[in-house]
Amino acid sequence: MDPGRFAGLPIEQWAGSLGPNGLPYALPIHPNLVHFTIGLFVVAIVFDLAGALYPLEKRLFRFLQLPVTRAGLHDVGWFNLLACAAVSFFTVASGFYELLLAQPISGVVSSIGLGSAATMVWHGVGGVGILLVIVAMAIWRGVQRFSWRRELGRQVQWSYLVVGLLMFVVVGVHGTLGAELAAEFGVHITADQLLAAGLDLREALP
Amino acid sequence: MLELLPALNDHNLPWMDTLHPIVVHFVIAMAVVAVLFDLVGSLGRRPGLFEVGFWNLLVATLAIFVAIIVGQVEAGLAEPYGASREILNLHSTLGWSLAGVLAVLTGWRYVIRSRDPARLPLAFLGAGGLLVLLVAVQVSLGNQLIWIYGLHTVPVVEAIRAGLV
Repeated sequence: MDPGRFAGLPIEQWAGSLGPNGLPYALPIHPNLVHFTIGLFVVAIVFDLAGALYPLEKRLFRFLQLPVTRAGLHDVGWFNLLACAAVSFFTVASGFYELLLAQPISGVVSSIGLGSAATMVWHGVGGVGILLVIVAMAIWRGVQRFSWRRELGRQVQWSYLVVGLLMFVVVGVHGTLGAELAAEFGVHITADQLLAAGLDLREALP
Repeated sequence: MLELLPALNDHNLPWMDTLHPIVVHFVIAMAVVAVLFDLVGSLGRRPGLFEVGFWNLLVATLAIFVAIIVGQVEAGLAEPYGASREILNLHSTLGWSLAGVLAVLTGWRYVIRSRDPARLPLAFLGAGGLLVLLVAVQVSLGNQLIWIYGLHTVPVVEAIRAGLV
C-alpha cells in the first residue's frame, strides 16, 4: 500500500508488507476469535442459569422427551467458561496487534457520536477489562464447583449469575464499538480502504 | 405496500448494525467446541464431556436457523457487487446446507445419547470433523463478504448509493 500514508509513523517500517486492508494477511483474526469468546461466555451463563432454575423447567424437558441432568447443565456452564477464558487471551492479543495496525477513515463520527480515537481506546482498554472479568469469573466458578458448593445441586451463586447477565450488557456495548471500527471507520476492510484512497471499486475490486 | 417497510440507515439496514455476524457466534463457537469436547472426551476417556458436546451441538443447531433468517434479510439488502455476488450465493447455499447437516448430526447424537450417554462411536467423531471443515469454509466465505467487499459498511453503501460501484 501507499507508504506515504504512514510518513513518520512507526508503522511506516512495515508499509511495504501490508495489504490494502492494512494487515499482512487478507482476513483479520480478532473478529473470528470474538465468535468464540462471546459464544462461549453467553452459553456458559445461560446453561448455569438453566441449571439454577432446574426445578422450574424439568417438567418442560420431560414434556420434550429430552433427558437432562442438573449436573449436565452445570458442566456446560463450567467447561464453556473455562474454554472462553483460555481462548480470550488470544482474542485480546490478536485484537491489540490489529489495533496497532488500524487505519480508521479520517473525519468519521460513529453512530453513537464517538471519533475513531475514542472508539479504539475504549475498545482496546475495554477488551483487557473484559478479559480480566472473564478470568476472575472462571476462578470464581471453579471455586464454587469444587469447594463452596460441591455438595449442592445448584452449583452457582445467584450473585455469579447476576454478574454474568450484567456482563452481557457490557459485552454488547463493547462489541458495538468493535463493529463500528469495521463498518463505520473501515478498519481492515479492503473495500472501505480502497474507497478512502479514492480508487474505483469497479477496477480495484472487480 | 413498500412504504410500510422501515427506512434503511447508512448501513442499508432497518436496524442499527448487521445482526447476522452476531447470531453466528452461537453457530460457529458451539459447533466447533462441541466437536472439540467430543474429541477430548474420547481421547482423554472423560465421557462426562460428551454431555457438554451434545448441548453445544444442540445450541448450534437452534442458532443456525435464526442465523439463516437474519442472514437472508441482510443478504437481500446487501447489494453485492463484482465477485462478491458469487461469494454471497455460495455462502447462502452452504448456510442452508449446514442447517441440514447440523440437524441430522443433532438427531443422530440424540439417539446415541439416549442409548448410552457414556459412549461415542468413532463414526460420529468423523462426522464432527467434517462439520468443522464445512463451518471453516462457510466462515471464510462470510469473512470475505465483510472484510474484503465491505457489504453493509458505511463507505461501501455510500458508494453504491452514489452509483460508484
